[in-house]
Amino acid sequence: MAINWEEIHSRLESAKITSDKGFQPSREERDRILKERAKITALESNEGLKKEESIEVLEFMLAYERYGVELKYVREVYPLTELTPIPGIPSFVLGIINVRGEILSVIDIKKFFDLPEKGLTDLNKAIILHSAEIEFGILADSIVGVRSILLNELQPSLPTLTGIREEYLKGVTKEREVILDAERLLIDKSIIVNENV
Amino acid sequence: MKWFVNLPIRVKFFAAFAVVITILLVVIVTAKRGITRIEDFQKDIFYSEFANSVDLLRLRSNEDEIRLALVMMTNAADRTAKEQLHQDIKEYALSIEKRMQGLIERNRGDTVLLNRFEELNAVRLAFKETRDTQIIPLIYDGKLDDAKKLAFGIQTERFEKIRSLTNELVRYANEEAQSHMKESEKTARQTADYFINVGIIAVFGGIAVAFYMNRIIAKPLIDISRVAERITSGDLTVSHTVEDRSDEVGALSQTFRTMVERLQKQTRDIAEAINVLTSSSSQIATTVTQLAAGTEQTAVAVNETTTTAEEVKQAATVSNQKVKRVTEVAQNAVQISKTGENLVNETIEGINRIKGQMEYIAETIIKLSEHNQAISEIIASVDDLAEQSNLLAVNAAIEATKVGEQGKGFIVVANEIKNLAEQSRQATKQVRTILNNIQKSTSTAVMATEKGGRSIEAVVKQSVGTGDAIKGLTRSIEEASQAVVQISASNQQQLVGMDQVVLAMANIKQATAQNAASTKQVEMTVRSLNEIGQKLKEMVGYYTI
Repeated sequence: MAINWEEIHSRLESAKITSDKGFQPSREERDRILKERAKITALESNEGLKKEESIEVLEFMLAYERYGVELKYVREVYPLTELTPIPGIPSFVLGIINVRGEILSVIDIKKFFDLPEKGLTDLNKAIILHSAEIEFGILADSIVGVRSILLNELQPSLPTLTGIREEYLKGVTKEREVILDAERLLIDKSIIVNENV
Repeated sequence: MKWFVNLPIRVKFFAAFAVVITILLVVIVTAKRGITRIEDFQKDIFYSEFANSVDLLRLRSNEDEIRLALVMMTNAADRTAKEQLHQDIKEYALSIEKRMQGLIERNRGDTVLLNRFEELNAVRLAFKETRDTQIIPLIYDGKLDDAKKLAFGIQTERFEKIRSLTNELVRYANEEAQSHMKESEKTARQTADYFINVGIIAVFGGIAVAFYMNRIIAKPLIDISRVAERITSGDLTVSHTVEDRSDEVGALSQTFRTMVERLQKQTRDIAEAINVLTSSSSQIATTVTQLAAGTEQTAVAVNETTTTAEEVKQAATVSNQKVKRVTEVAQNAVQISKTGENLVNETIEGINRIKGQMEYIAETIIKLSEHNQAISEIIASVDDLAEQSNLLAVNAAIEATKVGEQGKGFIVVANEIKNLAEQSRQATKQVRTILNNIQKSTSTAVMATEKGGRSIEAVVKQSVGTGDAIKGLTRSIEEASQAVVQISASNQQQLVGMDQVVLAMANIKQATAQNAASTKQVEMTVRSLNEIGQKLKEMVGYYTI
């Protein structure tokens, strides 16, 4: 099998040119990208026109399900880098984290809601909820983003859901996104651990 | 009698003959005694009675002679005649005297007879006295009348007396002889009777011995003879019972039985042997036929072989020429193989260079792979940055929300930043995929290079092997060229050899012809052997086993 050295040389040459130029999309490519982006921006602005009955939610993934939490109760999102487990507390409290010198507890809402475990997930993000009284973090696999949801699109609850979970639900969107009632979570006494050991 | 049966036949015969001879001896002795007695009687008669009678008759006749001579003397004319007659008278007288003496001597035992003889002698002496002393002188003197007177007177009386006495005595002797004869006859008759009795006993004894001998000797022999006759007539199924006896007949019987058994066994064996013989001879006949066929084939084959040998000879001549050409070709081949060897060496050098370059390629690819890894690390940090940018965008949005209506625009900007962060994450994902592909490709390239390296090593080995092979080939060709020279020599020898083969084939042809003739003879011999076997079979078939 003879090697076509000429072809190889030409291919190498073109590769070298490409790498020298660096990643510079062509003119058409750049125009196309910008157009798409403009379209998306335009759609968002259309939605914004009839927003009087909407809420801003932070969307996140947990155990392959999409959840949402109202943005006004979210202080910030923080990467869950160093988690310190604490003994002698309920299992839904995973431990404590240090957020710029402030010590906060982190809650696994799956365990808090008694949801079934669905395999191992990333769990490397913490969403820090806050109210006047309390601040704590809940675990998330990944943060999807921020969006506004029309309240009339929000269905109050699923008839099949009962018990503890129903209390903390604000509603379910058409896309089956579960919107958590962060206010309820924040005022819930059961979340406060006050045990003398 | 068992003991007798067990005796040897010789002894038996001796015993039987002894019995017969004893009987015969008794008969002989008896006969001898009887004959002796008869002889005695006859002697008695002959020497006494008849002798007396004869002597007396002679005596009387002599007396008559003397009387006649005396008368003649009386009548004689001259004295010489008278003396002649006187002499005769004297002789007669002497004879009478002798006889008288003999009679007296003979009958000395018989007193009565002796007395009569004495009496007769006295008368005779007186008569003689008178005659000698008176008559004869008177005659001489010529006184014939006186002599006659005297002679016819007293002398006649005396003469008559002698005659009567003599006659009386003769008669007595005859009577005596008669009585003796009678006695002798009686004795002879007795002897004969006795002899007949003894003879009858001897005959019966002899017959008994003969019968007994016949029974103990002849009968078993006859039995054996009968068995032998049956065997002769071919009946071998006979069985011979052996008497329990230890003489020659017993031994003969025993031996005969053994002989019959042996004969049976032998005949059986012979029958079997003949069967084998006939079957063997048949087989031999078959074999000989095959042999004959084989010989013919051999003859054909020999002809073909002779032709072939001629052809081979031709071929050898041709091959001799070829060998010369082959020698030249072999020398060329040696040159070519040396060139090949050099080429192979050069090839090996070239391949070794390729091997070095391959190693260089492998090293370069590995370096490429290491660069890849560095890129991958950079990409990871880019990814991390994108992640953090994402979070930052979200936090910015949150902060903007807190601001309220004025922050709306910032939310859009924050979302835009978030989208960019997302896009850069996607881009890093793509880059990672590409890097993975590059990694795989480099691995494949390294492996391919490795394989190439190994292949090259193999090729080097093969080339070395090829070089060795070509060296070997060179050597082989050199050897071949030497061998060709030897082949040439061999070819020459082969030519000579083929001539010898042709000659040998002619000899074989001759031998084959002789073989065929011999085979025919053998065939005939086998046929006669088969006939003999058939005859033997018939002969043995004569015997019933």
